[in-house]
Amino acid sequence: MLKVSVISPEAVLFEGETASVVAPAFDGEVGILTGHAAMVTVLGSGTLRLADGQSFRVEGGFMQVADDEVRVVTEKASKA
Amino acid sequence: MAKGRELLGRIKSTENTRKITRTMEMVATSKMKRAVDRVVAARPYALALTDVIASLYSPELASDFPLLRQPADVKRAAVVLLTSNRGLAGAFNSNLIKEARATVAQLEAAGAEVQLHVVGRKGIGYFKYVGRDLAVQRTDITDKPTADDAASLVDTLMAAFAAGELDAVYVVQSQFKSVLSSPPASTRVLPVTRPTAGAATKDYLLFPSAGEILSALLPAYVRNAVYRALVETVAAEQAARRTAMKNATDNAGEMLNVLRRTYNRARQANITQEIAEIVGGAAALD
Repeated sequence: MLKVSVISPEAVLFEGETASVVAPAFDGEVGILTGHAAMVTVLGSGTLRLADGQSFRVEGGFMQVADDEVRVVTEKASKA
Repeated sequence: MAKGRELLGRIKSTENTRKITRTMEMVATSKMKRAVDRVVAARPYALALTDVIASLYSPELASDFPLLRQPADVKRAAVVLLTSNRGLAGAFNSNLIKEARATVAQLEAAGAEVQLHVVGRKGIGYFKYVGRDLAVQRTDITDKPTADDAASLVDTLMAAFAAGELDAVYVVQSQFKSVLSSPPASTRVLPVTRPTAGAATKDYLLFPSAGEILSALLPAYVRNAVYRALVETVAAEQAARRTAMKNATDNAGEMLNVLRRTYNRARQANITQEIAEIVGGAAALD
């Protein structure tokens, strides 16, 4: 499982475990599964989807992946 | 009994004032709790951002970014002063204004031209009174500041700094250390000082590149510094108001004790005198 946190300037919107993450990177969607290499990517705007069906609208910021931990740090986020 | 009635009036009015200050204390307490929650909720974002910027930062990249430009001497600077819209918060606003004046004086002594940006009615009122021109006056930022408020404050300053029209930007805020300690402080938000890395840096795959990531994140970092200054100042304002109103309530209580004692003594003296008069009158009849 991946440990995922979705963080906006105002609050932590989500923190928990999920099997996969699909994030809107600057150049298209990126899917993250367990065992992904350590990565930092800039995000564009779009929908962030988790395996359990939850999704968030995000805009800007970045995603950091390291040791099965995914941090989505975005300037604007809301639950979709 | 003329004195007694006058005292009764004062007792009544002190009681009413105490009721108001006690209510304001309770309101400030609950507002402060929510403001502190916002300060705490803002921390993870700041930590995550600092972490990544610190791990990507390298001195070779610094010269490529306008926000990292380190001017040799400061010719033009901006000071952003955060104050509250409402008073009755003890020395809260005057401390902030004092700090801002010290910062401005220091910059001007070093030969810089300083423009003042003031948030909050109290700060604006003061600088209008002393007749200083303000570049920006904002009263629309409530006690629930948002990241958009921070962006609207600092985006023009960032653009001016990047274009070389400004050499430094300072924010005068209240640091919310605890409920009892929230000293005013002036922090430099531009040029960006390199954040110190917390954890050991990993070898990340970077998309699109370290430079591109930094150029996207540095403005976010500056905006976040201002956002945190806003939420901390609001929390400090409510804490200051709570303390001020608690003192006022306590003082009203003490004053009531003294007034009631004086009133009772006067009443007692009056009764004693009346009895003495009756006894004297009865004795005269015999």
